[in-house]
Amino acid sequence: MMMSDLQQNQKHSILMVSDFFYPNFGGVENHIYYLSQCLLNLGHKVVVVTHAYGKRSGVRYMTGGLKVYYVPWRPFFNQNTFPTLYGTLPIIRTILIREKINIVHGHQTFSTLCHEALMHARIMGYKVVFTDHSLNGFSDAGSIHMNKVLQFTLADVSQAICVSHTSKENTVLRSDLAPEKVFVIPNAVDTAMFKPALERPSRLDIVIVVISRLVYRKGADLLVEVIPEVCRLNPNVRFIIGGDGPKRVRLEEMREKHSLQDRVDLLGAVPHTQVRSVLISGHIFLNSSLTEAFCIAILEAASCGLLTVSTRVGGVPEVVPDDMIVLAEPDPSDMVRSIQKAITMLPNIDPQVMHNRMRELYSWHDVAKRTKIVYDRALKCPDQNLLESLSRYLSCGAWAGKIFCLVMIFNFLLWHLLELWQPADDIEEAPDVILSRNCDGLEGCCRKHNNAENHKNSSDTNNIHDKNNIS
Amino acid sequence: MVEFSISNARYTYVHDQKYPSENADMHHIILRRSGSKYIFVYASALLVLACAIYLYFLEEKSISLVYYSLLFDIFLVKLLLRKPVNKESVVIMPAFGVQLETHYMSGKVVRCFVPIDKILKPVLLECVTPVTCYWTLSLIVREESEMVLVFKNLRPPIKMLVHVWKALCAATDNKEETCTHAK
Repeated sequence: MMMSDLQQNQKHSILMVSDFFYPNFGGVENHIYYLSQCLLNLGHKVVVVTHAYGKRSGVRYMTGGLKVYYVPWRPFFNQNTFPTLYGTLPIIRTILIREKINIVHGHQTFSTLCHEALMHARIMGYKVVFTDHSLNGFSDAGSIHMNKVLQFTLADVSQAICVSHTSKENTVLRSDLAPEKVFVIPNAVDTAMFKPALERPSRLDIVIVVISRLVYRKGADLLVEVIPEVCRLNPNVRFIIGGDGPKRVRLEEMREKHSLQDRVDLLGAVPHTQVRSVLISGHIFLNSSLTEAFCIAILEAASCGLLTVSTRVGGVPEVVPDDMIVLAEPDPSDMVRSIQKAITMLPNIDPQVMHNRMRELYSWHDVAKRTKIVYDRALKCPDQNLLESLSRYLSCGAWAGKIFCLVMIFNFLLWHLLELWQPADDIEEAPDVILSRNCDGLEGCCRKHNNAENHKNSSDTNNIHDKNNIS
Repeated sequence: MVEFSISNARYTYVHDQKYPSENADMHHIILRRSGSKYIFVYASALLVLACAIYLYFLEEKSISLVYYSLLFDIFLVKLLLRKPVNKESVVIMPAFGVQLETHYMSGKVVRCFVPIDKILKPVLLECVTPVTCYWTLSLIVREESEMVLVFKNLRPPIKMLVHVWKALCAATDNKEETCTHAK
């Protein structure tokens, strides 16, 4: 009993690695940020490593004392760092030693920095957790290669997390990972930020809101078919479309062709801070994605009290209860039918009741607690030496297995060379951040620190303004 | 009069107050000469030259190969062993300012003076490069967009930098206090 209590209270030092982080905005970025903030609240230490964004390079501190390393490796395609296989070994090793990390948590399949960091962490004996955020295909050339890379990374991972059961199935099939190692922890939404409007918008005009990137994957082409039909059938319906992308031109053409200028508003890119104000001006949220592992946009809309109409793809059916969503096949006529059904359902919807239910169902603190359980499990995994790991890699494929083994052996040799060149004792440990917030009764307010003297200017900026909007 | 010193494998930190009556505080970081680096560089240069000569005499390659290898050797030696720094010092005179000195092996000394009024704050920063992360001590200077590095060539460990930083903070804080009192 005592032992499990001790283990429950054990605080971890976690390194989050991904190419996708602030100042970029997106599902993965928000997930990492919110999860890190909630883990910091629970008393753990979290450090984030990502690549430099333009001039934003070096060490930065975010709310709550979250330390972010913007490593100056240039991104080359789709925000991904240029893959050099061994180039990131020195800096990752330095960060792992100086921050006294014990778990490395990588995010997103399409992040080269994540895969490299996980590989280096494994070879150095750290426990590794991987979270997959999207669904991917199996048949095109790009997917086949990426799946092989994923198989390599996940061959030796301690535990894995997926954001929905559909995503777990997809990941397990793509990477040959044992299903027992995969946990399902859905994303959450900041219900404190996404609250319904104090006064409901009037129901004389029904407003349907769409907020998404206007790309093929998000079903922008479906919108082009659906909007004119819905406008024709319902003279009192208006559309508000937020977001930008290559398909915006098609939507503008559709608007011109059917003379819907006064009924369809194209807002362009909406900053994340203004998403709520756009959502609360509507009654129905329309999501037309062709593929989705988990849709945080639906959570945000439901938290604001909007009824959702969505395509039945991927993990969408798992997101909200059936009375908050109307599902349709990704086909224009079925979607139009579902929108009609949603319009008839509107009088029975109470936004505040919906918001309260979402608050009970989804919270980032809950995600953090569940993630901690995964970390505890990962730490309990037995330590493995190189030979045992190599046998796992060999089983990845006839040729691929041998290539993976060679890559890992070379990595191991490089690591030992680095140990000779720059011994671990020479790398000084970085002091932990001290925060003296003006908070009353908040647990874990002032965290333990190593050296009070190493109190840098960064902690002064933390003192100035601390908006804790997660709680 | 040496007040305090710390040393590790590569650097030695010395804090002395040679002129206590004049209120000047001196901090030195001295680089320990390591013979191994010289041996390694000269050995590899010799190896390259030996290979070139072997190829010329025994395998009948052209003489230009020897010349190129000689050029490469000179370039390598210049790159890796250039302008060796012996010591970097910080002289803190609370009434006037801070003098940063770099002493080279050849005896040359480069000095840089920062008046006390211009120093906003001394800061300890973590610098991240593509392969490593290390601590530096810098001065934030008024009306300048760039910070002034206190130790421009050497990278002493944080436990040595902390003492210099504290001394700089003490010197600049005192000045700020007198300013507010005057107002």
